[in-house]
Amino acid sequence: MHKHSPIHCIIPPDMLKNIATKGTAGQKNMAMSTLKVSAQMRGQRQALEDFKAATFRVAAIGGKERIIYDAKNGSNLPGTVVRKEGDAPSADVAVNEAYDGSGVTYDLYNDVYKRNSIDANGMRLDSTVHYRTGYDNAFWDGEQMVYGDGDEDLPVSERLFNRFTIALDVIGHELTHGVTQFEAKLQYFQQPGALNESMSDVFGSLVKQYHLQQTAAAADWIIGAGLLTANVNGVGIRSMKAPGTAYDDPVLGKDPQPAHMKDYVTTISDNGGVHINSGIPNHAFYVTALELGGFAWEKAGQIWYVTLKDRLTASSKFQDCANLTYQVAGELFGAGGLEQQAVKKGWDAVGLQVGGTEPPPPSDGGCLGALLRLLGAAPAK
Amino acid sequence: MDVERIKFERTGGFAGMRIATDIEKGDLSEEQSQALLDILDALDFPGLPEHLMGDSSMPDEFTYTITVEADDWKHTVVTGDSSAPEKMQELLQMLNRIARRRARKD
Repeated sequence: MHKHSPIHCIIPPDMLKNIATKGTAGQKNMAMSTLKVSAQMRGQRQALEDFKAATFRVAAIGGKERIIYDAKNGSNLPGTVVRKEGDAPSADVAVNEAYDGSGVTYDLYNDVYKRNSIDANGMRLDSTVHYRTGYDNAFWDGEQMVYGDGDEDLPVSERLFNRFTIALDVIGHELTHGVTQFEAKLQYFQQPGALNESMSDVFGSLVKQYHLQQTAAAADWIIGAGLLTANVNGVGIRSMKAPGTAYDDPVLGKDPQPAHMKDYVTTISDNGGVHINSGIPNHAFYVTALELGGFAWEKAGQIWYVTLKDRLTASSKFQDCANLTYQVAGELFGAGGLEQQAVKKGWDAVGLQVGGTEPPPPSDGGCLGALLRLLGAAPAK
Repeated sequence: MDVERIKFERTGGFAGMRIATDIEKGDLSEEQSQALLDILDALDFPGLPEHLMGDSSMPDEFTYTITVEADDWKHTVVTGDSSAPEKMQELLQMLNRIARRRARKD
C-alpha cells in the first residue's frame, strides 16, 4: 500500500503556505515538502511559484539570503525569480541595485548591530522590481520590498522620478520597515507612524553612510538622492540635516517637513502626516550624530537601534522616543556622559526636553483624534 | 453605466506627496473614456465595498480614494496598493496615469 503523509491529502494549499511561513521548524519542513510534491505532481510552473512565495520567510541557513523577483510591470507579487543569492549580476540594473542594496542593508544590521536579517532570525530578503508601469513609489508590503520604475511611462520631459532602486537609502528604508514590524511595531499613524518613518530614514541613511564609509560630518543626510530627475528642482525627497529644504519645485511643490515641534503639522492625509512630521525625529538624530562625530552608525545608530528593538512600543510618541533614547544612551555609554548629552542636544534642537512627561504641543489626539477614529481613519483605542 | 465625473486622489507613498484630479465627462478621448467605463462596469463599481483596506496601511504604500458620480448615484471606494483586489489594478493604473500627467502639465 502506498504510504504518504496525511498532510498531503488534507491540508489546503493556503493553510500549507501559512504553516510553511509561521510554523515550527518541523512543521515548516513538512509543509514545504508537501507544497513541493504538490507542485511537482501538478507539473505547473505556477504551483512552483506559489511554493517559492509561500516559503519566503523561512529562515535562511547561512544568514544573508536574497531573492529578486520581476513583476514584469504587473501587480502580482512576488513575480518571477530573476536573481538568487550568489547568482552572477543580471543585465537589468534594477535587479542588481535591489540585490546589492538589500545586501548592504543586511550587512549593516548584521555586522554593526549583530542582527541576523529583518526578523533577527535569518529571514530571506525578498524584493520585487518593475512593479506596475509608471509606479513612482516603493513600499514594504509586510513581507517583502516592492519597487516601481518611477515615471518610465511618461515622455522624458515630463518625468520627475527615476526608478526607486536607484537610491541605496530607499532600500535600507524599506527593509527597516520590516525590522520595525518585528520589533517596536509602531502603528502607522500620526506620531507613532512618523516615528516608524523616521526609523526607516535613520537606518536608510546609515546604510548609505556605512556603504560609503562616511563620517556624520561628510554625509549628505538626504533621503532619496538620485531619485528625482533633472526636471525637478530638488536634491532628494527629505533632508535630515535641514528638513523642509529637499525640494522646491513648480510641480512637486515645496518639501513640507518641519524640523521643530512648533511647526508640527496636524493632518488627516498621509496617515496623519507620517512622511511630514518624521522630519522632527529625523533632525534630532542628525544633531545627535553630528554632536558625537565619527561614524553615525556607531554610537548614535546603536542608541537608536536599541531603542527601536527594546524600548519603543506600538503607540510611542516623539516624547517617548526622546526619553527612551536618552535613557538608552546612559545605559550603553554611562549616565551623564557625552553620549547622553548629545542625545539631549538632539531633542532640544527640535523642541523636546528629555525627561518630559507632558505630551508635546500641539497634541494630535483630542478632538481630532476622536473625530478620525469616528470616521474610521484612525485605529480604535 | 453613465458616468458624469470621476474623482481620484492618491496620498502617502515613500515621498508622501498627494496628487488628485477630477475627470469630467468629455475630458477624455472616446477610446479612453470607453476603456474606463468598461473597467468600471466589469468591477460593478457601485457594488464595491467603500473600504477596501486592510487593518492599516502598509508602510509607504499609496492610498487611493476614487469617487464615481452618475446622475442618480455616487459611490466612493478607498483602497491601497497591497489591499486592492487584482481586478482593480487596471483602474488604479489608468487613473494614476491620468492624474500624474495632469499634475505635470497643470
